[in-house]
Amino acid sequence: MQTLDNLLFGLEVALTLQNIAYCFIGCLLGTLVGVLPGIGPVATVAMLLPFTFNLGPAPALIMLAGIYYGAQYGGSTTAILVNIPGESSAVVTTLDGHQMARKGRAGPALGIAAIGSFVAGCIATLVVAFFAPPLAEVAIKFGPPEYFSLMVFGLIAAVVLARGSVIKAIAMVCVGILLGLVGTDVNSGVIRYAFNLPELMDGIGFVALAMAFFGITDVVANLEETDQGDVYKERLGSVLPTLQDIRTCFWSIMRGTSLGSLLGILPGGGALLASFAAYMVEKKIAKPPRNFGEGDIRGVAAPESANNAGAQTSFIPMLTLGIPSNPTMALMIGALMIQGIQPGPQVMTERPELFWGLVASMWVGNLMLLVLNLPLIGVWVRLLAVPYRLLFPAIFVFCCIGVYTVDNKVFDIYVLAALTGVAYVLLKLDCEPAPLILGFILGPMMEEQMRRAMMINFGDITVFVRHPVSALFLAAAAILMLLIALPSLRAKREVALQE
Amino acid sequence: MHIRSPRDFWSGLIFIAIAAGFMIGARRYGLGDMHQMGPGLFPTLVGALLVVLGAVVALRAFVIEGPPVPRFYLRPILISVVAIALFGVTLQHLGLIAAIAVVVLIGVLASRESRPLEVVGLVVLLTVFSVAVFVWMLGLPIPLWPDA
Repeated sequence: MQTLDNLLFGLEVALTLQNIAYCFIGCLLGTLVGVLPGIGPVATVAMLLPFTFNLGPAPALIMLAGIYYGAQYGGSTTAILVNIPGESSAVVTTLDGHQMARKGRAGPALGIAAIGSFVAGCIATLVVAFFAPPLAEVAIKFGPPEYFSLMVFGLIAAVVLARGSVIKAIAMVCVGILLGLVGTDVNSGVIRYAFNLPELMDGIGFVALAMAFFGITDVVANLEETDQGDVYKERLGSVLPTLQDIRTCFWSIMRGTSLGSLLGILPGGGALLASFAAYMVEKKIAKPPRNFGEGDIRGVAAPESANNAGAQTSFIPMLTLGIPSNPTMALMIGALMIQGIQPGPQVMTERPELFWGLVASMWVGNLMLLVLNLPLIGVWVRLLAVPYRLLFPAIFVFCCIGVYTVDNKVFDIYVLAALTGVAYVLLKLDCEPAPLILGFILGPMMEEQMRRAMMINFGDITVFVRHPVSALFLAAAAILMLLIALPSLRAKREVALQE
Repeated sequence: MHIRSPRDFWSGLIFIAIAAGFMIGARRYGLGDMHQMGPGLFPTLVGALLVVLGAVVALRAFVIEGPPVPRFYLRPILISVVAIALFGVTLQHLGLIAAIAVVVLIGVLASRESRPLEVVGLVVLLTVFSVAVFVWMLGLPIPLWPDA
C-alpha cells in the first residue's frame, strides 16, 4: 500500500497550518475572481501569481492549485446566475443551469454543482495518486528522442482536441515555439532575437505573454461587446438540492467524473473538453424523462463533475512529464520554474513533499470549496452585481502589478503592452491563443531534447522512428492528424465543439 | 482570384512574415549541422514549417469560404495598450501610487460607460488595496514613491 502511505505523507504536508491557510486563501481568491464575469482561470491564476512568489514551492503550488479549482467553481456560479460562462469550460453549464435559475431553482443548481464538483474532486484525487507515479516511472526512463516525440504528440493532440482550424492551431504552436526561443540559448550562450535589449536576454516573460493573450485581450473583447447578460436578481432560496435531486444526479455525477478524469489526462483535454463531452453523453444516455436545455439538473451535475475531475487529472501530465495539457497547466509550469523547479518525472522522487502535498491538498481544497461555497453563495451573488466598468480597470492594475513583480522589471510591462496588440490582431483573425502558450512553454524544451538526440546519434534523424516508444508517439500524432483530416470525423468534431 | 476567407488569408500572411523574420534572424546565429545543432538551426526548422503552414492557410483562403475579418474597435485596444505602457513609464519614474492612478485614469477611457466620480473612488480603492496587500502584506519590492 505504497500509495496509501504516500497519501498519508501528503496529508501531513497539506495539513500543516501554513499549507491549510494557503490552500484556503487560494480557494477563496480563486472563487472570488472566478465568479467575476469575464475573467477565466488562466487570467485568474496569472493575476494571482504574485501572491505565491514569497512562498516556498509546496505552498505556492498548493495555493495555485486552489486558485485554479476555485476559479473553475466560481465560473460555474456565474454561468448559472448570469448566463455568462466565467470560463470556457462552464459554457455547457449555462445551458441547463441558467434555465434552472430562471425557473427559480438557482439554489439547487449551485448546490448540485458544488456537490458534483466535490465528489468528482475526491475521486480524481485518487486517480492522480494512483496513476501519476507509474507514469513518472516510465517517463523517467525516456531518453531525448522519446521526450521530443512525446512533446510533438502532446502538442498535436492538444490542437486536435481544441476548437478551431487545426492548421492554424499548429501554426500558432510554431509561433509560440519561436517566441519561446527568444533570449540566451543555454547551449551556446548566443543571445537570440533580443534586438540588443539586455532585458530580453532571459527571454520573453511568460506571465506577460499569458496575461496579454488571456487577461487584457479578454477585457478588450468584453469592452467591444455591449450586452450585459441576464443577471439573476431574485433572492436565492436554499442551495441544498433535495434528496430527489441527488438521487437523479448520482449516476450523472459518476459518469461525469469518470469521463472527466479520463479526458483530463489527455493533452489538450482538461476541463473544457471534459465538460462538453460529459454533457453530450448525458444527453444521450440519461434516464428519461430528459429535458436537457430546459433546466435538467443532470445537465448541471454531469459537466460540473467532469470539469472538476478533468481540471484535477490534467495535473498528471504536468507533474509526471513536465508537459502542460492546457494553458493553465502551462502557467503552473511557469510558476514552478519561477520557484526554481524544472517540472518532470524527477519531481516525484526528488521532491515527494511537493507532489504528494499537492495531491492531498486537492482533496482538502475540494472540501474547503464545498464548505466555502454553500454558505457563502450569497456573497458571491452580490459580487456579480459589480458592473464591468469598475471591474476592468482593476484587472489592468492587477495584471500590471502581477507582470512587474515576476522579475521586478518595468520592461515586462512594455512586453505586456506590445503583446496585447499582437494578441488582439490574432484574436480578430480567429487564431486560438492556447496553442501558442503551449508552444511557448514547450519550445525551448523541444529544442533541447532534439539537440541531445542528434548529438548522441550523430545527426541521424531516423532515431525518432527507430526508437520504438518515440515511433509510437509520432505514429499516434500522425494518426490523430489523419483522423482529423477525414471529412466525416471532421464534421463530427465541429458538431461536438459547437454544441 | 478572389479571397473567400479573409481571416485565414491574413493569418497566413502574418504566419509567413513571422517565420521569415525568425529565419532571417537565425542566419546570424550559426546553423551548425544536424549532429551539432547550432543556435540558428532549430528556429530555422520551425520557421520553415511555419512558412509551409502559413502558405497553406493563406492559399486555402481562396478555396474555403470563411467569415470576414470582424471590425477593429480602435478605442478599447489602443487605450488599453497605452494605459499599460504608461503604467510602466510611471512606475519606473514616479512609483506605484502614481502608476495606479495613471493606468486607471487612462484605462477607464476604454469604456464609454465610465463615470467620473466612480473613477476617483476606484483609484483610491485600488491604490489602498494594492499597497496594503502587495507591498505591506506580501512584501513585494515595488517602489511606492518617486526616488528622491
